[in-house]
Amino acid sequence: MRTKRLPGLLFLLLAAITVTALVVGCGAPSVGAPTAEPAQPAEPTKEAEPADQEPAAPTALDFVVWSYGIETIQDNIKNFQAANPLCQINLKDYSWLEYHDTMVGRFAAGDPPPLLYGSDHWLQEWAAANWLAPVDVAFPQVTDYSGELAPYALQGMTYDGHVYGLSYYADTIDFVYNAQQLSQAGFDAPPETWQDVWDMSVALKEQGITEYPMILAFSQQEGASIEALISMVYARHQGEGALFDAANQPTFAQEGSAAFEAIQWLKEAYDAGILDPASLQTAEIDQVKSMQSGAHTFTIFPQYNMAELNRPESGEFAGKFKIALMPGDSHSTVGYVRFYAMTPQVAAMGDAALDCAWGFLEYFGGKTDGSYTVVKRWAVENGLGFAQLPLFDDPAVEEAFGKWGDVAVISQQAELARSKEGLTPWFGAWDVFTRAEVHKAILGQQTTMDSLNNMVAKWNELAQQ
Amino acid sequence: MNQRIGQRIESVGLNLLALILIVFIVGPLVWVAVASIQGENELLRHPPRIIPHDPTLDNYNYVFTGKIPTAYEVKGQLRSRISQEARLIPAALKNSFIVATSVMIVNLVIGSIAAYTFAWQRFRGKTFLLNFILGSRLLPVMAVAIPYYVIIQTLGLLDTHIALILIYMALTLPFSIWFLSSYFSGIPKDFEDAAHIDGCNTFQALTRVVIPIALPGLVAAAAFAFMTSYNEFLFARFLTQSIDSQTGPVIISSIAGNPDASYTLISVAITLGLVPPLILAIALRRWLTEGLSTSITLR
Amino acid sequence: MAQRPGAERRHHGLRLGRKAYPYLSILPVLVVVALFAIYPIIHAVRMSFYKYLLTRPNDHPFVGLGNFIEVITSYYFKNSIQVTAIYTVAAVVGVVIYGLGVALLLNTSIKLAGPLKIVILLPWALPAVVSGLLWKWILNADFGILNGLLFALGLIDSYIPFLADPTLAKLSLIMAFIWKEGPLVAIFFLAGLQLIPDEYYEAAKIDGGSAWTIFRHVKVPLLRAVFLIVIVYETMTAILTFDTIYVLTGGGPADSTALISWFAYAEIFKGLNLGHGIALAIIIAAVTLVLILFYLRALKPEEATS
Repeated sequence: MRTKRLPGLLFLLLAAITVTALVVGCGAPSVGAPTAEPAQPAEPTKEAEPADQEPAAPTALDFVVWSYGIETIQDNIKNFQAANPLCQINLKDYSWLEYHDTMVGRFAAGDPPPLLYGSDHWLQEWAAANWLAPVDVAFPQVTDYSGELAPYALQGMTYDGHVYGLSYYADTIDFVYNAQQLSQAGFDAPPETWQDVWDMSVALKEQGITEYPMILAFSQQEGASIEALISMVYARHQGEGALFDAANQPTFAQEGSAAFEAIQWLKEAYDAGILDPASLQTAEIDQVKSMQSGAHTFTIFPQYNMAELNRPESGEFAGKFKIALMPGDSHSTVGYVRFYAMTPQVAAMGDAALDCAWGFLEYFGGKTDGSYTVVKRWAVENGLGFAQLPLFDDPAVEEAFGKWGDVAVISQQAELARSKEGLTPWFGAWDVFTRAEVHKAILGQQTTMDSLNNMVAKWNELAQQ
Repeated sequence: MNQRIGQRIESVGLNLLALILIVFIVGPLVWVAVASIQGENELLRHPPRIIPHDPTLDNYNYVFTGKIPTAYEVKGQLRSRISQEARLIPAALKNSFIVATSVMIVNLVIGSIAAYTFAWQRFRGKTFLLNFILGSRLLPVMAVAIPYYVIIQTLGLLDTHIALILIYMALTLPFSIWFLSSYFSGIPKDFEDAAHIDGCNTFQALTRVVIPIALPGLVAAAAFAFMTSYNEFLFARFLTQSIDSQTGPVIISSIAGNPDASYTLISVAITLGLVPPLILAIALRRWLTEGLSTSITLR
Repeated sequence: MAQRPGAERRHHGLRLGRKAYPYLSILPVLVVVALFAIYPIIHAVRMSFYKYLLTRPNDHPFVGLGNFIEVITSYYFKNSIQVTAIYTVAAVVGVVIYGLGVALLLNTSIKLAGPLKIVILLPWALPAVVSGLLWKWILNADFGILNGLLFALGLIDSYIPFLADPTLAKLSLIMAFIWKEGPLVAIFFLAGLQLIPDEYYEAAKIDGGSAWTIFRHVKVPLLRAVFLIVIVYETMTAILTFDTIYVLTGGGPADSTALISWFAYAEIFKGLNLGHGIALAIIIAAVTLVLILFYLRALKPEEATS
């Protein structure tokens, strides 16, 4: 039949496409395009020439952040560019809740931004995957700043002995209470132990002051929930090794361990109606709004939210929220750091880009004219905590912080803050797994010990991958 | 007499049921529209006010003109309840529109030509090719998300409309072809035969005779293609980085999940995201309903 | 038949053109589909045989079926199969009942059928993320309107955190699904109902049938084809639910809404294990394919028209 030729032609065409696809595809398993490739600049480039004879065009660098305080960031960028006309920074932002996953998607497909925000709980993951470039390799001068950083912050930015950024802000996880409601219930001093919290909660509940005295942001989507949990563990534990020992082996899966006590307390509080059941789907902002409206007396969250709670127009209880040292034997808590990081993209873009990148990093996370301008601005205007120790003595900072918190307590808690243990490339993945396990223990779907054992098993599984 | 009362009760009962359904279907939409003009404080009450006390279009104003809602200026918020992302909504909707329209046109043109072929032509490999095309729809998005990304990046099309158009073509063509070929095969052959007798070749028969008759089905197919592209979220999320090509669902979900946006602003985002598909759905409902009905009855 | 040579050549050309036409006409479609189906599948299948951890960028040993085995024996898999199964069954049953109910209602001549017909398609026209966000906002534990309504009506005395309870969270997901997919099902059923010739109804009435008997013995059997199509399509849609989970629950609480496609997403973007994620996606595709083939086979004998 005459038709034989044409189907044949068609199938040949399909085959050709397939073969082409295979050939193209054989360039990859290039998913994860690690740094070896000189990647194209992310911008329709204004290439910067070594400014010898010709006036150089500005180098454009993308800077990716999560959407907090965008107007302030824009303003800072404007000031930076005024002082550095050869550098142009293009700001892009994603929602905090999607930040990690979105960046992973970009990294995995070889499309990293030159400059971005990083966080200590993903540093190991991203650095091990070669998605971030160590700052001290390209700019050894960054270690000059290390001496002035709170230890937990420096730890959170260091991987494999290298420093990966300059601190954007650093904070502690604090225990916060509504002093007005507490004194209404007949208590003048904040709780010192978890038993205190329990007794006070029972009183608050019985007197009808709050139906659920405590709220936590334990939504499965909330990235900071692990930090709240860790703070409760640290406070019950003296010294190191609360969760992982020096070799990153889990130490928490025993009856009576700090982690056991922490989760067990939460479970009992849930059953007794002390912990709001809604906590399991509450994220940070709803938690803050809820506290603001007086629906709960106790909570645990990152310190910077205090500024929001206590600003004068926030509502009935404005100014009445106070920080207490984390209840527990050691009153210790977890500190975390978010920082400015750079990717190998910068080096691939050339010397001019490197110059701009260092200028950027130093302007934003370091000193300008001898003072930490940008970090101080965040502290004074937004109440963000900081890792740069000299700022604790700055009168402007003290005054600003004094408006929403007790500076003495704040610095005391900061001294007792430790960084997260177990920071490894798989910490992020493990963190996501633990959220459901903690939920199950709280809900009573399994025992606390079961949850802890599952967490250990998952840790070991991830460690061996 | 009794029968009439019985019928009366039945009618009232059914109407009540229909009313409940209408409330169930339309209620959420009305609520979010109402919430978008309420101040934040109204929304935070227990229970929230359904009839706004002090309606304000400030948040809409912010989206379209960038003027910060006065409530926030007065209160001097530390954590501003606005997000830059909200200003991107109009641009995002425009992107959605461009992409969806292009995909729709492509579907109409090459989709209907191909569908007609599958409906009436006999040729070797027809079943195989049809199954191949239809089967491609079975790929779960997750498996192909990263390979798609790599293709698009290799072609240098990251963050462009074309990338989305190409991928949505792959997503919508199978359904369009299946639907249209069923639809075409339901049109009596007599029309086409008459056209052939009058001297038309296959292509002419298609354009001069079949298409006018098949118009309802074509409109339905166009509407589906448009809507699928407009509503698609996953690939839009991963393949776009900037407002150059980010579509409505991406921006809106980002705003709604953004801790820095007030509930009112979030409601505004959702409402703006609703409006275009709703308008389309209402305007085209007859075609859509007809199209869907025919597709199922022709099987 | 004898023809002049010239005519024969013209005929030849015409016939060749006619033969080529089918293939040319579907070529553009094939190219697009091939590019976006063949290459990704090949790439994906290849990747699934290698260990692919994004945190170990230079270490991709061949592991054969290792990824598949690890995925199938993992906790997540067992959990999400369970969750997906429960959710899918409930969602499909729910949406069929809902859609059929609405269709029956639309088929009557009550006054409100008109308005109902106008609004019916609206939820289906929305992006899944938008409808998910809508429901998340409505079900909000502190400020949601549903809580507000129930509270104002005196049905509850304190707000219910719908998304904080594993069962209620699943139900919320199912409700969002029914709200969005119901309209489509209703249209399908309505089309089917309107196809039933009046004679059947007449005959049944003459035989003394009540509304219920008519329903059981006339409508349901003749709607069988529609039932099957709806069930196939909605099952697939339910299994592959992702957008809604993404915005509504994030898989929680306690992984109670972590459907299988969510699991695949989490393995890739949170676990950074591409090998696992892709192996899982392939498994999902295979299962969906089997399900569809199964239904199609069941559908075949029913088709009187094929």
